[in-house]
Amino acid sequence: MTRAQELTAKLLAAPGPPVDPGDRQRLRQQLLGAVPALVEKLPAGDQIVVTLPLLRRADRDPETLAAPEEPFSWKPAFVRRSLGLAAIEACFQRRHSTPGEAVGPVADDAVAEWGRTGWRTFHWEPWMAALSPAARSAVLAEAATWATALWSSIDWQPFGSSIRLGGPDDQWTCPAARTVRLKGRSELRIPLQAARGDGSPDPAPRTTLVSVASGIPANGWETELGFLALVASLRSPTRPVPARVVGLWPEAGEHRSVDITRGILAAAVDRVIAGIAAVVEAHLSAVP
Amino acid sequence: MVVIDVGREDPRLGMADRGPARSAPSIATGWTPLARDALLDRLRVTGRPRPLADPERVARLRDIVEHRPGPGSVVGRGSGGQPSGPGSRTPLVVTKDLLTRALDRDSDLGAGTGPAPSFTVPMACGALIDGLFRQLVTTGSIGDPMADGLDALVLDDRQGELVTWIDNLSPTERGALTAEVDRQCLDLVARWPRLDPSWLPRTQVPMRVGLADGSIELSGRVDLAIGRPGLNVASVAIVEVKSGARRADHRSDLHFYALVETLRSPAPPFAVATYYTRTGELDVDPVSDELLASAARRTAAGIGALCRPTGEGQVSGPATSRAGKVVAAGAGGSGRRRAVVTTGGGGQ
Repeated sequence: MTRAQELTAKLLAAPGPPVDPGDRQRLRQQLLGAVPALVEKLPAGDQIVVTLPLLRRADRDPETLAAPEEPFSWKPAFVRRSLGLAAIEACFQRRHSTPGEAVGPVADDAVAEWGRTGWRTFHWEPWMAALSPAARSAVLAEAATWATALWSSIDWQPFGSSIRLGGPDDQWTCPAARTVRLKGRSELRIPLQAARGDGSPDPAPRTTLVSVASGIPANGWETELGFLALVASLRSPTRPVPARVVGLWPEAGEHRSVDITRGILAAAVDRVIAGIAAVVEAHLSAVP
Repeated sequence: MVVIDVGREDPRLGMADRGPARSAPSIATGWTPLARDALLDRLRVTGRPRPLADPERVARLRDIVEHRPGPGSVVGRGSGGQPSGPGSRTPLVVTKDLLTRALDRDSDLGAGTGPAPSFTVPMACGALIDGLFRQLVTTGSIGDPMADGLDALVLDDRQGELVTWIDNLSPTERGALTAEVDRQCLDLVARWPRLDPSWLPRTQVPMRVGLADGSIELSGRVDLAIGRPGLNVASVAIVEVKSGARRADHRSDLHFYALVETLRSPAPPFAVATYYTRTGELDVDPVSDELLASAARRTAAGIGALCRPTGEGQVSGPATSRAGKVVAAGAGGSGRRRAVVTTGGGGQ
């Protein structure tokens, strides 16, 4: 068995017991109770968007939280994920053989579509359209390397058409005096098909989420993966809590899996509250 | 046999040809740079059986790197001599450059901490050729080498200072740089083989391995990797591109990459190679257990050297700036040495 086959087997393994709906509700209430009090001292109009990178910074480099955000400008590293996932999807659908072959045509199609209709599937189309061929090749190369790492980490054969690559982030906004939004970004969402008692397929199956990160897994990786399940469960109370979250660190050739339990979600709630507290402290210390 | 005057002026580019940088044979050596399929065969066919996945090999190599400095060593210990443990906030990030500097007793680890890096024309050439090589592998073609190289460099926010430096070159220096980039690029396009997409060619591949409970990270970024990763038999070849002259430490760099790839993958790479765009030379090392063990010992020695200046068996890890500079520092206090190494430099 190759490493990719082993990983796919883990992704598709039978899920453990689901999180109790009562526990799910209590965790939500815990956030609703703690977050508004934390952010009420922030200046009016201030907002906090809690993402996985922000939680990592709050834990490892809290001093950077006070730094003003750099104005956004497109760069290859910001394009590689969306273009890379679209290239992988093209390979999964057998439109291309490898991500390296797919990135160019996928980018060309997106730019052409934007030129025809004004519709921006990825948002970077106008920027890409204005690049010279050499600069464009640097963007494609970045996406091809990123996508090839993910493409070759997984054995895609067993997946059905219901697998979702990329897509919108899971989001949940906490009602508070200042806007606090939790955003969870997963690269793959894999439904775990389980038959119901009568033998028919489950219409709302639990899922495995896959998150791709750079670097190596650091202390607290379980909670970080749990955060993605937490946001998915907050976003839609009627949808099942993800069964597991798998993190991939292609640079290190490592993957880690966490089955989602009440304990993991509770740890993620604590991490979110601690992260928001750190951001609030940083924002307040930066106010003259 | 065609006789080429090695030291002649190059009519295409108007600059002196330095040394055996010709794509045609030399009567002195009878050597001709490999091109296209021959170059590819040299890379692919090592004449040795490809290593298989072996968890015990990985364990042995880890053991060498983590424990070589011996009991009481700094490895795995944080400030104050306490074990830093998993997820240490400031791991010691070991790159090939940092390793080479640490092992070079004559080098001043404090060099480079000045206000601005001292760029040179060869350094700029290396950075431009790196980008052009990436473009060639990705798209199969290059337009105007200098313009294309600069276009790619501008997009890399680690290279902002270098781009400014190039922009401020005098016309003479700029002309020399352009001529050299043009010459190397022409040869590169003429010789470099097309890589089958099924080999999954990928450029600027980042590699990282955590060691000693997270207190050390081995880190690298290879110019080109080909072959499907993650198999149980060695299937990956790693290529570094250099625009400057051959140096002994280039092979040590390659062996370091072979070690990192082995530690992060089921099987080692089957070959590591340096391609010299100035001359067309290709140095290929088949990867063996001996090569890996030697690389592990060298890495352990380098880590030991990096830790020694702190004196009391303490490691305070590096800070990695957004500019891609790695700072390996002592645990603080006066008299401790610091190393600043730019990891994103050109491959000159």
